[in-house]
Order: sequence, then structure tokens, then C-alpha cells
Amino acid sequence: MSAPTVPDAPASTSTSQPSQKNMTKAERRELQEKQRAAKLAQKQQPSDSPGKSKPKAKPAAAQRRASLGPSDSTGLDVSRSHPLTSAQTADAEREKSRSLRIFSHFGLPKHGPGAKGDIHPCIVQLALQFSECIATLTAFKTVIQDYTTPPNTTLSRHLMTHLSPQITHLVSARPMSVTMGNAIRQLKLEISGSDIDMPEQDAKDVLCQKIDDYIRDRIIIADEVIQDLAGKKIKDGDVILTYARSSVVEKVLLSAYKQGKRFSVIVVDSRPLLEGKALLQALTSAAPMSWTLSNDSLLPPPPPIPCTYALLPALPSLIAEATTVILGAHSLHSNGAVFSRAGTALVAMMAQQHSVPVLVCCETYKFSEGVMLDGFGKNELAPSHLFQTDAASQGPNLEILNPLYDLTPPSCITAVVTEVGLIPPSSISSIPMALGRINL
Amino acid sequence: MATENGPTLRVVENLAWKLRRRQIVGSRATALETLLVLRQVITKSRFSNMEQLVTIIRGVGRRLVEAQPKEHSVGNTVRKVLHHIREEYHTAMKGAATETYSGFTISKFVLLGQPRKQTVVPKTESKGTLKENDPDDPDAFARSLKPVLMEAIQDVLDELETVYDNVSKNAQNHIHSDEIILTLGMSKTVESFLISAAHHRNYTVMVLETAPSYGGRGMAKTLSTAGISTFLVPDSSLYGLMSRVNKVLLGAHAILANGGMFAITGSLLAATAAHAHSTPVVVCAGQFKLTPLWNLYHEYGALDFGDPNQVLGFEEDGLVDKVDVVNPFYDYVPPNLVDAFVTNDGDHPPSSIYRLIKETYDDEDNEL
Repeated sequence: MSAPTVPDAPASTSTSQPSQKNMTKAERRELQEKQRAAKLAQKQQPSDSPGKSKPKAKPAAAQRRASLGPSDSTGLDVSRSHPLTSAQTADAEREKSRSLRIFSHFGLPKHGPGAKGDIHPCIVQLALQFSECIATLTAFKTVIQDYTTPPNTTLSRHLMTHLSPQITHLVSARPMSVTMGNAIRQLKLEISGSDIDMPEQDAKDVLCQKIDDYIRDRIIIADEVIQDLAGKKIKDGDVILTYARSSVVEKVLLSAYKQGKRFSVIVVDSRPLLEGKALLQALTSAAPMSWTLSNDSLLPPPPPIPCTYALLPALPSLIAEATTVILGAHSLHSNGAVFSRAGTALVAMMAQQHSVPVLVCCETYKFSEGVMLDGFGKNELAPSHLFQTDAASQGPNLEILNPLYDLTPPSCITAVVTEVGLIPPSSISSIPMALGRINL
Repeated sequence: MATENGPTLRVVENLAWKLRRRQIVGSRATALETLLVLRQVITKSRFSNMEQLVTIIRGVGRRLVEAQPKEHSVGNTVRKVLHHIREEYHTAMKGAATETYSGFTISKFVLLGQPRKQTVVPKTESKGTLKENDPDDPDAFARSLKPVLMEAIQDVLDELETVYDNVSKNAQNHIHSDEIILTLGMSKTVESFLISAAHHRNYTVMVLETAPSYGGRGMAKTLSTAGISTFLVPDSSLYGLMSRVNKVLLGAHAILANGGMFAITGSLLAATAAHAHSTPVVVCAGQFKLTPLWNLYHEYGALDFGDPNQVLGFEEDGLVDKVDVVNPFYDYVPPNLVDAFVTNDGDHPPSSIYRLIKETYDDEDNEL
């Protein structure tokens, strides 16, 4: 059975299979025939279809002709040209990916992930938006309320298996953020700890209450404490420089203004998101328009916050005027690095060069226990609908990238304002310890 | 005294107004226009000795520089022409005057710097025929000197016209295979440098959009059309990407005597980020951008502002009347942030720019 009587056609050698030796002659012939037919079909697909049926009609003749080699021009052509074209396409592919390789891990927005399992509609909607932590937790509340425990299992054991596909769906739409990870970890802890003997509706209510508590304690109250602490660092006559828009920074500035502090603000902004315009809107509309009555005398409205607006390239010209830089954060890592909106690192770097103190406002629910060294490794690209560059700038060699985040090294940060106090970035790692770690 | 007749004056005034209205912008365009005006002025003006000629050219130069002090290449061109004129004059006078050129001495070397291009071949054989202040024929001096002067101006013109080719002729020595180059804004010099390097090397360019002019978009388009793998990124991603960048390539508006430079806004940010990552910063510029000036007070890039509408448009009608909008035009990049200047006459570190300036211009022309 070993030495085949029919010499292998060039086409079949190129695609020889390891199991070929164990086949009978008929089987092998059949296989060869099939391969040849497939190749011919592949080759003749653009031209015409009738040729496709030919080799099948007289298999023996085709086989013999193919085995003769050079005489059969079509068979040779197929066997020779096919690897060539495939090599060419592979080359082109490599050429294309060569430039892309370092960006290949950037989470390109994966649209239309096949929703596995039954995804709650509010999660589906959430996945399509740019959501933040509160929205995520509120959505999970709805999911929990709409959940019914199947028979023969308990809520504390089964709810998590119901939630995990929802989480997977969210992660497939956007990379999991640190805040979401922290919140979900906390939720899992609560679910596994919930009382088995509790009636289902009560257990769900308890869980929702826990989620509300988390939002209140870790986000809303924390923000208020941060407003207080950071507000103390703003004095009359200060020039506060901030970048893009962070909701905490906005609250800090507005509350300091309401306390009667008179300072001015420089808002630095940049594409792709140009979020600073929203902050500018909030700051300029902060001043009450009407006269106020106090102690039986009419007081004129206080002057509005003087605001300056500039784009990021103008930063070096403006940084010398600033007395304090206040920035927001997306997450904070245990080595003191701040992962935040793209451009934040540039502002912090320039401020450090000009010896302007940099305060980063960040609640502890954004803390991550991991270490981050480079904003390049884990990043996210802006969804393509956010930027419409003119003149259809997509060309064969042109790619447009819009990373959303960067990493500010701890050396550029003076202090982090958290709800547990102002701490230097080098002491971030001690915060989970201070909070008793159970909350993180 | 110089008798500046009508047409000459009109040509100068014409350019002065164009400069003032910013109808001519860009260092090379202004340098070319200045040169053409100077050529007309020299052709038409009457002078009978060297001082008169220098006074005329200086007067024109002063007028143009005052019209637009931010276009440094105008003054540079005038200085360069003056330098060439003196050189030609000395060469022509060598035969007439008894002064002997003592050649190369170490004291002169220290005083003037090494004369690289001073070995000019005499372009005229009019030895002994050059006479200043000839009472019989006051135009004799001008008549015999003018052809030489025209040649001197033509030299400057040729240099300006070939500047891009000469800057980029060594491009493949600076850009290597598979490198990632970061650049910003729209600079013709950088563009031709990158395209020339692409003939020899396969590399990737990242172009910052460079708000608010967004010149980077045009740059990215040109480079990608030339077959270079190009990424267009917003300014905000500069710091994040810098860790992967091998070299930062910048254009310049003017190179100052201390080795610093004026460049489009965003350059300082890019150079500082590159410094923080120890990435080399290379500046491509023609030598007509060398300026014998210092910038010690560099807030707002020496106070030149662009249109605030580009930053915050009038469509934001709720904001425009409540907010100050700042749009500085240039950045001042200090010499410690620049690693090398690639010019049409070799590559130089910032520390030797002063020497180039000493060679290119005469000290007495620093103030026109």
C-alpha cells in the first residue's frame, strides 16, 4: 500500500495531508479529484462556470493528464499561480499591518457584537453609549429588578451567572474601565454575600439599596468632599488652568465661586472631543443674572468667572500665567500614574516645567490596584462618528487615529485630591489600606 | 546722496504693504519677494560710492522690516545681500587698493569665525578700474559694480530656489528603516525632506493635526499621496504616542542667534514632550532663516496672534462675548530642546548657530 502507483500530481503535493498514506487508492484519487476541482473552480470563477463541471465528468482522464505534468497547462497554471498570488496577498496584508501593528491592540470600536445569551435592553443601549459609572450601576439596578430566580437555585448563586453575559456584552463594546471593574467587583461581593433565606424581592431590593449606597458614598459624597478640599487650594486672584472637562473639576470651580472666591480660569481644550466648551458653558453661566436682596439692600450680581479659552498648542504660552492646574482623572493606578483624557499628560508636563502645582481630583472609586507605565498599551479610540475630517481625508496610506486617553506619570503630579484627603501620588498605594480594602 | 526715484520707492512701498496686510506670508516667499525688490532697487538707484549703496539698501531693508517685524527672513535677506555686496566690493577693490589681504591668521579666525565660503573667485577682472567718487563721471562706480552685484543677488536667489532640494539631499542619513517620525503643521521643507527620505527608506510618519490651523491635515495628505505610511493624530495624543516615536522632525519660522527658534504653535509642546522621552528633535530649515536676534521674553511666542475665530467660532454665540480666546501664532523653542538643525548647508547643532550667523552676515548689519 506504500508506493503509490499513480505519481502525485503537483497540485496534490502542495496540499498533501498527513493522513494520505492511510487511504485506499480510490479514496486518494477521490481526494485529489476534489482538490483539483476546487482549484479549477477557484480559478475559473471570474471567467465562466461551464468549465467547472468538466473535470468531474471524466475524472480518470483528468487524473492521467495531470500526472503527465507539463502537457496539462491548466493544471500547472493552477498549481503554480495559486501559491504566488496567495504570497502576494499575504505580502500586501503584511505591508498594511506593518504600519498598523503597534496600534493593533487599540480597541477599535467593535460594532454589532453578536449578543450572546439574553442581554437586557438597557445594557444593549448602554453599550452603544459613552457611559460612565453611575449610568452603568443604574442599568444594573434595572437588570436586577427584572430578574427572576429560576427554580431549584438561589439568587445568590444564580444572579451572577445572569449578570456575567451582560458584563461581557458591555466589555465587548468598550474596554472595561477601572471604575466599572471596581463597581462590578463590589456588586459581585454583595450578591454572593446576600442571605439565601431572604425572599427574592427583598434580596433584590437590598442589592439595589447597596448599589444606591455605593453611588451615594463613593461618588456623590466623595465629590462633595473633594469640592471642599480642592476649594481650599483656590485663593482670591488665582488663575486656575484646567484641561478639557471633568465633572469633579467643574464642581470644584463652581463651588469655590459660590463661596465667593474670585479667581479666573483658563480652559485648555483639544480635538477630538473638544469637551472644554461644555465646561466653558457651565462656568460662564454660573453668575446669577439678577440683583439679590440681602440685609434690605440690593446687591449687584457678582462678576462672572473670567474665562480664557485656548487650544492645546497654545498651552506653553499660557502656562506661565497659571497659579494652579486642576485636572480630572479617568483612573488612578497604584504607582501614582493618572490615566485621563488624552492631552492631560501634556498639561501636567508643562505645568511641572514651569513649577505650577498640579492637583488631580479623583475619587477613590477610580483607584486601581494595578500599575500602569504607559498610556499606549491600554487605550481606546474615539468612535468614528465623533470626528468628521473634511475632504474625505482617508487615503491608501493615510490612517486617522484618535486615542482617547493618555497616562500622566506621577513625577508631573503635585497632589491627588481624594475624599480621604490630599495625598502625593507616591502614597496612592496606601489608600486601599486606609479604606480597609474591603471597599475596593 | 541717494536719489531714490519714483518707481523704486513704489516697488518698496508695494511690498511693505503686502507684508503688512499679510498678503505675503511664509519665510521663503517673503525672502524671495525681498530679493526681487532689492534687485530692482539696485538696478535703478544711483550711487557713486559704497557708503551710498549700503545706505540705500539699508533704508529699503528698514522700511520692509518695520512693515512686518515678524517675518524675520525679510531682514535676513537684506543682511545677506549687504554681506555679498561688501564681499564683491572688496574683491573688486583688491586690485585698486593697496591693501593686501593678509590671508588666514589665528586672530582673525577667533574674531570672525572660520571663513568657509570666503574663498570667492573674483567675478570681475576690472582690477584697477573701480574708482569711487569720480568727480568727472559720478556713475562710473555704479556702472562697473552693478554687473557684479547682480551676480551676487543671483547667487542668493539660486540658494533660495534650491533650498528644499539641498535640505533634503541628506534625508536618508537621518531617517532609517522602520522608524516612526513625528511631525506637525505644514512645512514645505519638512515635507520635501520626508518625501526625499521615502525614496530610500520605508518608514512611518505621524502628523499632528496642529490646531487651530490644522495644517497637519494637508501635510498628512501630501505625505500619504507620496506613498509614505502616514497617521494623522490629534494634538492631544502627542504625549501618549511619544513613547513610540523615534524622532521628532520640526520646521522653523526663524532660527535665532542662540540656537533657539520660532516655529508654529505646538512645536514647543512637541519638543518638550520629546525631551521628556529623550527623543531626538531635528529641525529642517534653510539658512535664510538664520536671524541675528535673541528672544529673551518669549511669552506668546514673541506676541504674534492668529485669528481667534479658528479657536472658538462665532457659532458658539453663547460664549464668544464672555470668554477670552487666545491663539498665539508661534512658539519659541529654546536651544536646549533642539538636537540638530538640518540646513541646506550641512547639519549643525544649536550651539554653532551663532558661528553660522557670523559667517553669513556682517555684524554692522544686525541693526538695519
